[in-house]
Amino acid sequence: MEIYSSFIKQIVTWQYELNRFISSTIREINDESSLTTSLVVLGVAFLYGLIHAVGPGHGKALVAFYFTSNKSDYKKAFKMGYLISIIHAFSALIFTFGIFFILKSFFRKNFNEFSSIAMSISAIMIMLVGLYLIYEAYKHRKEKDSKIKKSNKSELAVAFSAGIVPCPGVMTIVLFCVVLGQYTLGILSAIAMSIGMGLTISLAGIFSIAINKKGGSFLNDKSYILEMLGGILVLVLGSFLLMAQI
Amino acid sequence: MKILYSLLLFSMVLFAHPHTFIDVYPTMIVKDGIAENIRITWKIDEMTSSMLIMDVDTNGDGKLDSKESKYIEENYFNIFADYNFYTYIIINGKKIDIPTPTNFVATIENYRVCYSFDLKRKYILKDTAFEFGDTDMYTAMVLKDEFVTIKGGKAVVTGMDNDFYYGYRLEVK
Repeated sequence: MEIYSSFIKQIVTWQYELNRFISSTIREINDESSLTTSLVVLGVAFLYGLIHAVGPGHGKALVAFYFTSNKSDYKKAFKMGYLISIIHAFSALIFTFGIFFILKSFFRKNFNEFSSIAMSISAIMIMLVGLYLIYEAYKHRKEKDSKIKKSNKSELAVAFSAGIVPCPGVMTIVLFCVVLGQYTLGILSAIAMSIGMGLTISLAGIFSIAINKKGGSFLNDKSYILEMLGGILVLVLGSFLLMAQI
Repeated sequence: MKILYSLLLFSMVLFAHPHTFIDVYPTMIVKDGIAENIRITWKIDEMTSSMLIMDVDTNGDGKLDSKESKYIEENYFNIFADYNFYTYIIINGKKIDIPTPTNFVATIENYRVCYSFDLKRKYILKDTAFEFGDTDMYTAMVLKDEFVTIKGGKAVVTGMDNDFYYGYRLEVK
């Protein structure tokens, strides 16, 4: 446990420094120095993402579990890692820009009311995704023959459940850029950060495949259980979001 | 903005590693090994601050007046009661309920939002330790030697390796 603790401490310290570096650098960007500085910011955002995803969360457990229960190769793990991080980045971008522009274009008085409606809509959408995932999982349980199709779909389902909740880390960077009027840089940093996170998440997948190759899989034909779990998770999440609005 | 904040708070359940960094600046005046108050200032990281400023600096002058400070206290600070204000007071090895924060003031310094508040109580310092940290690891509390101001005593800052989060302990010798 002690090794784990100092490991956590190291991750926290790195993020603390990177976070400070990114914010002060973005603020310094002006017309003359923009290109080099922007590139530096993107490089650091990549690193930040890489380290950020090492901490608990970001669907690594889900990915690891998925690959211990499914026979796969390393390529697939990479695909999965990146699928998650792309979904992750997109949801963060959409949420952040959505919220920001709603904020900007509505009067403050109406904002609370409006945002509550917007949030409820997205919560319901998340719940629908959850229901769809559960339905898909149920279907898979029934028709076990279409193996290849199943595997592709269940991968997407896992990636979706892991990635749909926007990463607050990405949202923070994006919003920070947006506040300073650096829209493009905001989007690019989100992408750079997601590439970093994708790498880490992929490694989690690769790791579990490596373990799986030694031990053999224990949930061979039962991947629908995992899909079902993912679906329930997303559904619960949507319900929580919705309840927070009522 | 509140919505974004609640979303962030909500997400911490799912993504339990730091997204917000707070530097903790404790101040105490010690007389005969006793302090009547600990004043704590949180300096919130620039990114999180930028979101807060966007929401609360309604007149956009880059400063927080008493009205804006009050708004922060009610909407953004008091919710930390659920998280014990990330502060634990240990007397004779036992955690006690922390006093309700008073004299809250929010300011902006170098693009960073700062929260200052008092935790008033009689502290017999040889029996007392203060711990700072977020058990959910959503926020990383950072306490460095140079952040501490103790008049009439010597501060000892140690890092705490807790199983799920990293925190800091402050003692006065």
